[in-house]
Amino acid sequence: MIRPTHEFPELSALTRHPLMLMQHEEMPDPLNPRRILFLDTETTGLGGGAGTVAFEIGIGRMTSEGFAVTQYVMRDYPEERFMLEKVREQILESDLICTFNGKTFDIPLLRTRFLMNRINPDCLDLPHIDLLPIARRIYKLRLSQCRLSRIETEVLGIPRTGDLPGSEAPDRFFRFLKTGEFALLDDVLTHNEQDVASMLLLLSHLCAQYAQPEQISFQEDLFSMGAALEKEHHASESRRVFRLVPAGKLHSSSQLRLAASHRRDGQIEHARQIYLDMISRKEGGVEPYIALAKYYEHVECNLPQALEMTRKALFLLAEPSLMDPATVQETRNALQYRYDRLQKRLTRKGI
Amino acid sequence: MNVDQLADVLRKDPEFMENVVRWEELPAREARYADFPSQLDARLIPVLEKRGIHSLYTHQAHAVREILDGHDVVVVTPTASGKTMCYNLPILSAILRNPDTRALYLFPTKALSSDQVNELYDLIQLSGADIKTYTYDGDTPGAARKAVRQAGHIVVTNPDMLHSGILPHHTKWVKLFENLRYIVIDEIHTYRGVFGSNLANVLRRLIRLCDFYGSHPQFILCSATIANPKELAETLTGRPIELIDDNGAPMGKRHFVFYNPPVINQQLGIRKGAMGEVRNISGMLLKNGIQAITFARSRLVVEVLTRYLKDMVRDPLGNAGRVRGYRGGYLPTTRHEIERGLREGKVDAVVSTNALELGIDIGALDACVLCGYPGTIASAWQQAGRAGRRKASSIVFFVANSSALDQYIVAHPDYFLKRSPENALLNPDNIYILLNHFKCAAYELPFEDGDAFGNAPSPDMLMEYLTDSNILRHVGGRYHWMADDFPASSLSLRSAAEENFAIIDITDPAHHRVIGEMDRFTVPMLLHENAIYMHEGMQYQVEKLDFDACKAFIRQVDVGYYTDADLNISLSLLDIEEEVDQPGGLSRALGEIKVSALVTMFKKIRFDTHENLGFGHVRLPETDMHTTAMWWKLPDDLCSRFDNDQLKNGMLGVANLLRIVAPLYLMCSPQDVCVVYQVKSPITDKPTLIIYDNYPGGVGLAQKAYSMQRLLLEKCLEIVTGCTCSQGCPSCVGPIGEVGLDGKETAIRILRDMLLRSDH
Repeated sequence: MIRPTHEFPELSALTRHPLMLMQHEEMPDPLNPRRILFLDTETTGLGGGAGTVAFEIGIGRMTSEGFAVTQYVMRDYPEERFMLEKVREQILESDLICTFNGKTFDIPLLRTRFLMNRINPDCLDLPHIDLLPIARRIYKLRLSQCRLSRIETEVLGIPRTGDLPGSEAPDRFFRFLKTGEFALLDDVLTHNEQDVASMLLLLSHLCAQYAQPEQISFQEDLFSMGAALEKEHHASESRRVFRLVPAGKLHSSSQLRLAASHRRDGQIEHARQIYLDMISRKEGGVEPYIALAKYYEHVECNLPQALEMTRKALFLLAEPSLMDPATVQETRNALQYRYDRLQKRLTRKGI
Repeated sequence: MNVDQLADVLRKDPEFMENVVRWEELPAREARYADFPSQLDARLIPVLEKRGIHSLYTHQAHAVREILDGHDVVVVTPTASGKTMCYNLPILSAILRNPDTRALYLFPTKALSSDQVNELYDLIQLSGADIKTYTYDGDTPGAARKAVRQAGHIVVTNPDMLHSGILPHHTKWVKLFENLRYIVIDEIHTYRGVFGSNLANVLRRLIRLCDFYGSHPQFILCSATIANPKELAETLTGRPIELIDDNGAPMGKRHFVFYNPPVINQQLGIRKGAMGEVRNISGMLLKNGIQAITFARSRLVVEVLTRYLKDMVRDPLGNAGRVRGYRGGYLPTTRHEIERGLREGKVDAVVSTNALELGIDIGALDACVLCGYPGTIASAWQQAGRAGRRKASSIVFFVANSSALDQYIVAHPDYFLKRSPENALLNPDNIYILLNHFKCAAYELPFEDGDAFGNAPSPDMLMEYLTDSNILRHVGGRYHWMADDFPASSLSLRSAAEENFAIIDITDPAHHRVIGEMDRFTVPMLLHENAIYMHEGMQYQVEKLDFDACKAFIRQVDVGYYTDADLNISLSLLDIEEEVDQPGGLSRALGEIKVSALVTMFKKIRFDTHENLGFGHVRLPETDMHTTAMWWKLPDDLCSRFDNDQLKNGMLGVANLLRIVAPLYLMCSPQDVCVVYQVKSPITDKPTLIIYDNYPGGVGLAQKAYSMQRLLLEKCLEIVTGCTCSQGCPSCVGPIGEVGLDGKETAIRILRDMLLRSDH
């Protein structure tokens, strides 16, 4: 099955740089999009033990004619070995595997099947982009769950209709084995082909978003991407994204993380400016005060200013807020301790 | 005071000696040493010398030699005889010589495995070798599992984890399976009956996978003293096994004191309670600084005794850390702390259930007090074995309670001292158990035409049966798993449900904390609302029991009483599967029954005096178990020959005989089957003797009993007529105190009549 290239509008974004931002793992260099192998399996169960078999393996690949999906089906158990060898040949022709949840499910399962059929599984150790954890980082805050069908609807804007639930695949296969009616597998194959095609759509969409975060329209996604980049140690990229988070419920958290990131990179002055701006906008509650108190005490050694910030934070904390009382108490104790300590240091200096 | 001095004092105390029915002295045993076997890697010898070990005991050297010569062995040794050296040494030696070597250690419980691993760590650390030992069980964090699978030289786990966590996922354990050289199974005496039959099949599966990966591991098994260690080891593994039982560890002199509490009411023959006497004896040991363990049969008695002993030694702040309780349900950290305290001598007295009977390392103690007979000779010896220094003397007190069995033992000390401990029996070919594991095996690796499954009979029939049931697909000479499920997940190796209740202390509202856990079956007894729950001698009242969420909320209290709940067990008929009921013949049937356990009320009992302070009601759902049963209905014209008491005593006698006979011929452990007699049974409406499987759903024991019912009755008659006792003993119908003066005779008459009517 071949889908023409125009069905994948963001294909040009599929380059090495955004991939490196997504996942802290070595990517093939140079990256040849035609040597990315998209893979999805249909199995006889979700157990993941040695008795679970992949009866169908869908493999997608960019070709000169478009995106080609090849589906390998075993018509009975003795064909498994042959099917796996075909898949192995495909993998050997690739530089990168892309899956949705493949790191926990499909690849370990294939490794098991290879071993059970005494085929060397080392080819499965290729660099691997698993879209599920990446999508989860970016969209979880907005979508709360990240099944592929939900991502198709909410992120890619292509809702699926009449799809066979994946959980029914084993039953279809067992019925096919008993009856020999291949038509029973039609829905399974359609489902699998769509899954594979969606992977390419999602991967190129993610690449486009990573390459140009300015285009992201949801503040949740922006904030999540900032956090994801930070987690993968792309500090300056993460700051770029945090700065894009518009005024709203996530703005103050973004500003705090931005400032913290500056601080970690030694850009203390940037951080101080962000805290001061936050205070002037009455944003972020006591947090910027606490951060500034630390700054004055440890960087400028300006104890009176540090004390002043602590005092203001304590005042602010006394006002009614939505914070949970236990956290308020904890913060107050910490502030009080800081306050007392600073005062002691000041008096000692006075003597 | 040391043990010998204490023994002298007691012997001169007429008041104490009045209640001592027998004072046996078991002589000291000299150590027997052997040189380090030449097979042992020389690099280990300086390591052992660093630990102060300059030669081995004979049994250790023997084991090391046999193992390194490639033989499968079972080592039988009493507690504290350096058993773990028998397998740690050869295995470390093999790993030093070939770092690819892998070993798998199986312990029956998690607690035991962590204990043994610590000892192994010590040796490895001293050796400085890069040998990795990991525990793999339910507590192993997900992140660490990968390292265990890839790099562990020695993987320590339990049968349950092997069954459901390792074997079905064997492809993740390629390194282990390809290089597996040794399988160590410790405490094999615990693998009796259904649990043992399950393990034997898990081992069949394990060996089958080893074959697939091309490894041929050796078995090293260890057992406490039982009658048939070699046979047990061979049945478990399906291989001939070499027996090593030449124990060379020394043992100091042991005093064994049989103590019967004094009679306080001559007319009614009522004796003082065992608990009060144990309180005095254990208290005396505590005051004299003799480190002692006290075994009690129930958790409740453990807690009450712990409190009594703690009260004797409380400091001004109310602390009594020298006295500790120990039982299942304490958190692992608490248990480890107590074990360490015992080893280091910081704990002087511990009161325990049989939880400490297993090989958990608490060092050797000076004294042991048994509050009641634990039920079998083997476990009595194991408990007594907790006391026994290598050089100094030790002392064991057996304090009888008023039950007929205890009274018999205390009246006939030789019964205990001279008889061999019980046989451990199992039946790996029990078709229910076998079939379940066969399914797991088929899932793990397809069977091929003509494949064997260990030494299981007719595997081809099982393959065909599963193919007909559409679970396997036979194609191309192989049987492929063809179902969307995971067979290991629906099969539990143990009878008790794994589901535990958390016990949550809510005394401090800001800081709720879990202080323990309890299995579902015991919860209605000890954690019903308003129960006084005792934990490490502290009292708590149960405020709320959330049965659905499996949580009990308790609050600390200080009241002068404890509570004891009444458990009612009732049977009801669900379905009759087969029945023989001809006039003049012996009526019998096989069917499904429901066993319901219900706690309806509890008693409040005052500390010290043990008087009853009143009752409370318990409102809890019944705990049900559906299982299979077989039963005999006694004929009217037989029953009419006896008066009611006679009939009851006679039936009890037959039931006791069946309890002895059934496990022998069903090849299970006594806990696996229940034998019940009912003078008016809700199942048949008549006097009835019932045997049922003590497992939800049944495991085929009642079926087997039904098919060999005549043989069972014949064997009962053979035992009771051949028994030399005059009017009953625990080896036949039970002691007179239980079955009355004519119980033995009535039981014989009932059995003869049943056999006369029974067709062949």
